[in-house]
Amino acid sequence: MSRFFQAEVTGNILLSQTHNILRITPLKPHPSPSPGQFYLLRVSEAMDPLLRRPLSILRWDESSLEFLIRLKGRGTLLLRNMPPGGCIDLLGPLGNGYPSAGDGETPILVAGGVGIASVYPLIGRLGTDPILFYGAASSGDLCLLDDIRAVTSNLYLSTDDGSMGSRGNTVERLAAFLDETSVPKPVVYACGPEGMTSALLRMLRERGIPGYVSLEERMACGVGACLGCVVETSGGYRRVCKEGPVFKARELGF
Amino acid sequence: MNLSVEIGGLRLKNPVLTASGTFGYGEEYAEFVDLSALGAIVTKGLSLTPRKGNPPPRIVETPAGMLNAIGLQNIGVERFIEEKLPFLKQFDVPVIANFFGDSVDEFVGAAERLSRAAGIAGLEMNISCPNKQAGWLVFGTDPRVTFEVVSAVRKVTDLPLIVKLSPNVTDIALMARAAEDAGADAVSLINTVTGMAIDIKTRRPKLANITGGLSGPAIRPIGVRMVWEVFRAVGVPVIGSGGIMNGEDAIEYMLAGASAVAVGTANFVTPTATTDIIAGIRDYMTANGIRDISSIKGGLLWQREDL
Repeated sequence: MSRFFQAEVTGNILLSQTHNILRITPLKPHPSPSPGQFYLLRVSEAMDPLLRRPLSILRWDESSLEFLIRLKGRGTLLLRNMPPGGCIDLLGPLGNGYPSAGDGETPILVAGGVGIASVYPLIGRLGTDPILFYGAASSGDLCLLDDIRAVTSNLYLSTDDGSMGSRGNTVERLAAFLDETSVPKPVVYACGPEGMTSALLRMLRERGIPGYVSLEERMACGVGACLGCVVETSGGYRRVCKEGPVFKARELGF
Repeated sequence: MNLSVEIGGLRLKNPVLTASGTFGYGEEYAEFVDLSALGAIVTKGLSLTPRKGNPPPRIVETPAGMLNAIGLQNIGVERFIEEKLPFLKQFDVPVIANFFGDSVDEFVGAAERLSRAAGIAGLEMNISCPNKQAGWLVFGTDPRVTFEVVSAVRKVTDLPLIVKLSPNVTDIALMARAAEDAGADAVSLINTVTGMAIDIKTRRPKLANITGGLSGPAIRPIGVRMVWEVFRAVGVPVIGSGGIMNGEDAIEYMLAGASAVAVGTANFVTPTATTDIIAGIRDYMTANGIRDISSIKGGLLWQREDL
């Protein structure tokens, strides 16, 4: 089974002006991913845009893989407009995903914006009724709420503009929750934009809470060769595509 | 059908090499490519001591290309020999160690150490990284300094010595001649073209290093032109590189005068790019009745009046 494979686009669901879910069906048997891993998708047969786009795996079963895409630039526009029936090639699953929670630990999932794609597979896999903090700029940026509510009732939404859930950012919401609730051995699993990630890491450090954080960085090869996607960690530069994208919170400086 | 070529005394089973810095230490691509099927593997650039490289962001996509400013991050020659070379030795493929230094002494030191290691078939000197400080750039842009550093390395190694040239010069043929005069067995070109990209919202450079090296299909015409200039100026073999994405691109470089080609950015786009390109070269040979790949080297048809 090769991690470099062709697939047919078998679904493309537009969720909003800015988000879509691309479903693909590999043409050959392919290795199964684990939560937090990602794929590099070729967005066009042409030489421009040239590089593949890294996307976290959202959902999968034996025959298909699904990716949540937020419209950002030319590459994501091509992925948004990809018609079912077309062919696409992928590289993956890549990188290291999230580890399981230890005995007696309470997993707390934290997602910012399209970071929900990375965290989503954990919702049904880390115990029953897991705690999820999910924030975005506005209500239109919160995706898959029905699917999420079907799995957990411990959902804490927030938006920057207050259009859904509490007004303000996810990290402040989580901090308030931790202040008012006694959580046995909390361990955080998080993916979000840089601002959220650095605020979260600071908060975790101050409170001595362990966690795992998925990072994003511009990437070319996805297999550890180009050294383009490094981030600074306590052990020096580490490749997001190979040692990451999920890192232990305490390894990350910020 | 004969795809084998000779580069400075080194016999390669086909003319497709990996470009330094785009294929890691080989192991990163071993699950996608039969390494024994390659003409040669050129390693990530090595220095006498490990290098941390530049801060991120290190890469940015550009029209039909990308800019990089990795900053020659590498594990150093000792660890390469100890940890990476044994893996590569399992394959039936010549390993060409790419190396650099910050001074003539460091170039010499790295070349000496690599030459003593069993399992290295050749050396490629990088005198042309665009992401180094100003003082370093003279190695690849001042022909007298090029001559000096290549001569010094030549004295300490009997391995085939390839010198990788920078396109960021006024006259690349002059640089190639300096390398040849100093004893280089081959030259490879082009390294990346210095470039820059700005985020107009934040007014910040898109690379932490501000400038970086442009690669990919965007630079192929520059590479082809420079290979043609160098081919006519030197007697040693030329390894062509710059934006080669498929077999046809490789043929284009060979018609311009390249004896072999190095595949770089294409590896990032398609992990099987190297072997796909070998297949593409075979297809071209079959379609055009070419029995020996070397017969098309410098086969560009032109007349002086065309100038």
